[in-house]
Amino acid sequence: MENTVFTINNLNLYYDQFQALYGIDMKIKRNEVTALIGPSGCGKSTFLRCLNRMNDLIEGCNITGEVKFNEKDVYMNSYDVINLRTKVGMVFQKPNPFPMSIYDNIAYGPRCQGIKDKKVLDDIVKKSLTKAALYDEVQDRIKGSAMSLSGGQQQRLCIARAIAMEPEVILMDEPTSALDPIATLKIEELINDLKKNYTIIIVTHSMQQAARISDKTAFFLMGVLIENDSTNKIFTQPKNKKTEDYITGRFG
Amino acid sequence: MSNKRIRIDRFYQFMTYSAASIAVIILSMIIIFVISNGSGLLNFGLVVNDYHAKFYNGGIDNNITFSQTERPESLTSEIYYSEKWGIGLIEEENREGNTIISVEYIDIDSPLRNMRDKNNDNNSLSLSEGSIVSSIKFYDKNSALTIHGAEHMINELDTSDDFREIVYSSLGGGVRGSIITTLYIIGLTLLIALPIGIFTAIYINEFAKKNRVTSLIRSMIEVLTGVPSIIFGLMGLAVFVPLTVKYTQADSANLLSGSLTLAVILLPIIIRSTEESLKVVPDDFRTASLALGANHTQTTFKVVLPSALPGIMTATLLAIGRIIGESAALIFAIGTAIKDDISIFGKSTTLSVHIWSLMTDEPANIELASTIAIIILIIVLVLNLIVKLIAKRFTKNFG
Ligand SMILES: Nc1ncnc2c1ncn2[C@@H]1O[C@H](COP(=O)(O)OP(=O)(O)OP(=O)(O)O)[C@@H](O)[C@H]1O
Ligand SMILES: [Mg+2]
Repeated sequence: MENTVFTINNLNLYYDQFQALYGIDMKIKRNEVTALIGPSGCGKSTFLRCLNRMNDLIEGCNITGEVKFNEKDVYMNSYDVINLRTKVGMVFQKPNPFPMSIYDNIAYGPRCQGIKDKKVLDDIVKKSLTKAALYDEVQDRIKGSAMSLSGGQQQRLCIARAIAMEPEVILMDEPTSALDPIATLKIEELINDLKKNYTIIIVTHSMQQAARISDKTAFFLMGVLIENDSTNKIFTQPKNKKTEDYITGRFG
Repeated sequence: MSNKRIRIDRFYQFMTYSAASIAVIILSMIIIFVISNGSGLLNFGLVVNDYHAKFYNGGIDNNITFSQTERPESLTSEIYYSEKWGIGLIEEENREGNTIISVEYIDIDSPLRNMRDKNNDNNSLSLSEGSIVSSIKFYDKNSALTIHGAEHMINELDTSDDFREIVYSSLGGGVRGSIITTLYIIGLTLLIALPIGIFTAIYINEFAKKNRVTSLIRSMIEVLTGVPSIIFGLMGLAVFVPLTVKYTQADSANLLSGSLTLAVILLPIIIRSTEESLKVVPDDFRTASLALGANHTQTTFKVVLPSALPGIMTATLLAIGRIIGESAALIFAIGTAIKDDISIFGKSTTLSVHIWSLMTDEPANIELASTIAIIILIIVLVLNLIVKLIAKRFTKNFG
């Protein structure tokens, strides 16, 4: 398989008149964790949503440029968005399980793809929960409501739900910002585990988190990609002055 | 400063408390009025009986074997009893307040249990408890009528070995027909209005682009909610009655035309409340579902609609209340004929219209009307419980 999952060429994004992204060029490697950092409002979430075309849902959002997933431009007219979203999963800032049982939450995606066989679904649910390091905690109440889980458990359930689709990429938009340090640590361990099999792109406001979990770090400022390099380099010898100012906490 | 704050605080508290107590007082006054007026007539017979009394003319064949049973001890002193014929009669007041003579007791081997139907020779008739005897006609003396009293009737019977004819009727005035009509109308109307209303709301809220057309539909729905129901009644008379007459076996206003009219009245209500409950479903659910590769339809029907279900159930309850309470529109759309044999394509009336026609009679029968009101309250209560139970079952699986 090709080593580059996403190739982004000269991506511009407009919300009506307002331009939120300026000429982004970026490559994202397979089985790596890429952290997106930058001050609030710089366009990290907007960029992330371009990768699985969730921006389609926003009225007045216009895009120019290329986002190639496995060599194919996802903004081509003929591109199958549903298929893209099964290959590129997403985890949101606020845990958002459906108000159903834990089981139904995880089986939801596969069911939407037409999988009905109970044995297959049982298997998917168990595997996904195990991979998301949640199985032991919830195995005796898998048919219970997902809403009764703690925030951290809910977020891991959302990760399990994304894993159930067997995606290649998982997008995470500040997945730990609503969680306490211990739950955050669990998710970080989980990400470390998952990167063996998945490509992960994560938005975070925590420099320490980016340093702990990511291989690559991309720094955004006012809709522009300022610097994109290995995490180590970004944090020890950033090329750009603005990057240095940001990671040392001098602004933003 | 703080004194003023306390005074304002007290004032608002006083306002809310007094408003709440006024509401409670009014509500309990209505219920007390209805129950004190109507509970006297409330019994099982009222609910299961026909409205129209059926009359029978029973005769008897020559070889009579008399009952000759001693007066049972259970009979109270107001009951007049004939040993020979094994029958006990009592004077009562019927629901309209007139004196009637009814059969309180009849022995197993009374000859009156086995009579010939004078209107149909092949039929046999059996006088039963609860029947109302209006006259007994003899061969050799004057007839014993209701106005002569029960004692006279029994005496005349006791001193005869034979009679020509006994005229009796079932106890009428029951509301079984109207109850069945009400239930039919509720079922039919919901069957028509719920799917259309819910799907329209889904279309407007989930699928339609927000443009002039949808906002026009919205404001039209809003206007329709405020139109008096009697106008819909006219529409029922002008549109649905002829339509149903043309395309079904109906030949006049009927349950179907009534249900269609009510469905039109309910549509805006159902659409609006379904829309409200769809709007409060968090967008998080929609994005989560779409991000999992579900399409728009799957998202709507598997995630959004189930989350909106409690709200839709409330809408259904409101709708049921509206159906039971509606009378103005139905007077036109199904008519006011009180019937016992209910058919979807025939005339008959709901409990509310039944009340209306009782109150327009001369003299108005407030007692019976109040009794029907109690029955309506009970039906509303039971349906409420059922819908709540269904909603609970759904929300248990879903949340
Ligand atoms: N739906 C939208 N319509 C119009 N403008 C939007 C929309 N979403 C975001 N924006 C604008 O685009 C810019 C980038 O927003 P975005 O949410 O991507 O920032 P972010 O980097 O994720 O910020 P944060 O760290 O606070 O989440 C902001 O100026 C924002 O106001
Ligand atoms: Mg963001």
